Amino acid sequence: MNRFLHDLWRNRELLQLLVARNIKIRYKSSILGFVWTLLNPILFIGIYAMFLGLLKVAIALPLLVSGVIVWSFLDMCLGDSLYAVIGNTNLIKKTSFSRPTLPVAMVLSNLVNFVLSLIILGCYLIFARVSPQHLWLLPVFVLSQTALCLGLALIISAMNVYFRDTEHILAVVKLAWFFMTPIIYPISFVFDQVSPTLQKAAFLNPMTGLVTAYRWVLMSEDIIAPQLVTMSHAICWGVLAVGILIFQRAERGFADEL
Amino acid sequence: MKHAIEVDNVSKCFRLSGGTRTLKSAALDLLRSRDHREAFWALKNASFNVKKGETVGIIGANGAGKSTLLALIASTMYPTSGTIRTEGSISSLLELGAGFHPDLSGRENVFLAGAIMGIPRTRMEERFDAIVDFAELHEYIDEPVKHYSSGMYVRLGFAVAVEVDPEILLIDEVLAVGDAVFEMKCLGRMADFRRRGKSMLIISHDLQTVQEVSDRIMLLEHGEIQQVGNPSNVVAQYQALSELRHRDGLRKEWGSREMEMTRIETHDAAGEPSQSFACGDEVEVRIHYHASARIVSPVFGFAISDDNGRVIAGSNCQAERITMPDLDGDGYVVLRIPSLSIAKGKYLLSFSVHSSDHSVNYHRLDNCFPIEVAASEEFAGVYLKTEWSIQAIND
Repeated sequence: MNRFLHDLWRNRELLQLLVARNIKIRYKSSILGFVWTLLNPILFIGIYAMFLGLLKVAIALPLLVSGVIVWSFLDMCLGDSLYAVIGNTNLIKKTSFSRPTLPVAMVLSNLVNFVLSLIILGCYLIFARVSPQHLWLLPVFVLSQTALCLGLALIISAMNVYFRDTEHILAVVKLAWFFMTPIIYPISFVFDQVSPTLQKAAFLNPMTGLVTAYRWVLMSEDIIAPQLVTMSHAICWGVLAVGILIFQRAERGFADEL
Repeated sequence: MKHAIEVDNVSKCFRLSGGTRTLKSAALDLLRSRDHREAFWALKNASFNVKKGETVGIIGANGAGKSTLLALIASTMYPTSGTIRTEGSISSLLELGAGFHPDLSGRENVFLAGAIMGIPRTRMEERFDAIVDFAELHEYIDEPVKHYSSGMYVRLGFAVAVEVDPEILLIDEVLAVGDAVFEMKCLGRMADFRRRGKSMLIISHDLQTVQEVSDRIMLLEHGEIQQVGNPSNVVAQYQALSELRHRDGLRKEWGSREMEMTRIETHDAAGEPSQSFACGDEVEVRIHYHASARIVSPVFGFAISDDNGRVIAGSNCQAERITMPDLDGDGYVVLRIPSLSIAKGKYLLSFSVHSSDHSVNYHRLDNCFPIEVAASEEFAGVYLKTEWSIQAIND
């Protein structure tokens, strides 16, 4: 972990350039450019709201909006992590530089997008007359989610070098994960339906804790189980530690496999 | 450390798999608790040093392990065993413009490439003008590199790599890509580099150039260092070796084998075994045969090819109106060439024995026997007796 951070600090200029490159390239050839980052979740929210209405599932719109925006950060990172390493085959094979900068830069560029969408989300919440609380905690949650995203990005980007099946597995896992996380339903839904043991299990999914925490600060939702939310956060950092270990072991073989 | 690069007993093994590994095969490997992909040793027990200020050229056939060795020193790959130590900053030209992104401008790519090499931004800013000068890209530097011609692309790649002024420069066959002017410029820059006491490791197939720029040359073959030494000696040895390989490649033996040619001897006029003759010498060839059953009047033939395998002369006993008796068991046939009238050079002899109606080839030895014609008058190919005369017309 120490070595990892030290390495990143030494390569901060490279990271900065790679983040700029990623953001620039993502929107380079699309007409709407950055607008897509916002338009995408808005369109998704529209679709979900419509179908949830048809299915008569009761969820307040601010809950849904915050859930989808928080999820989209993870979703983008997972999708991009498949190609964070193998999409830079030429760099890996022909130049020597600190390999973790690739997935880190990818997560950071998505973080930039996420922070911008959080600002838009804030505007919407003011418009919807929802009042936040303890806003100073928001950066802590963003940091935890970034740790989770980075941990998974390190694992997935390294795995995809060795096994190209990763892409197909990820698609299924992502879908299941989406429905297991209280995004299109409120967390109270979980507490109403299942036994206390399963409630705890629900928070083993770190996204459950994160979404709950975001909703707590952004729209003053009551936290039903603060200790479970804390556990979710701890898991995020655990995933990062595991991700770093896996990536450091795997990176030695990248140039051989690509 | 007075060496810029120390390579100690380094080996590199690749695992070959038909295509990309799938989860299924990986899981199977795990169950068998071993990696079952075939091992390929790209480099075996390589040890050598490069002194500070020294330029070492690396030559060898394709697949000899040259690029692997450079990739290991550039630490884009890790050795399977052994250690590599380097002193000073390294700039590697394993591929020109390797870090460039097509959608970014030349300027952005220069800074990105610098950051990838670990050069601080402030230093890149100092060097920027020199880079653009060397690459001659002034008016295009803010265009995306995808619009560059391949020449502009490699010029920028080379400019970045040399302008960052490393202690060690690794170059993999990059001089072949530019035009002649660019190549001159690169060679000039490399010479300048050398004068300033920097170390270089250069892979090249251009033996002439590599011999000129190197202090020593390393010959790699099948992943092993054959020799490191004086440039002209090593290049000469490599050329001899390539010639041998080439001849082996032309060699072919086939046939139904009812009758076999077991041994071929070539003798000079004095009856001594020889492979080297002068033009016009008498040559006697003994073709030893073995027939496992009785063969009805076989036909023996021969051909002479140049060292590219093109037949320049050939005949058989049938063409000379000689009918062999039926043959059985062992013996030898004598072919006498009273005058070997071919130009100075290296040749390959082929022999055949087939049925009299040419329907069955019993045994063929194509391009199996090298001979040399060491001296001849100035003429080409096979000597034709010619007559010349002058008929002057005066008004």
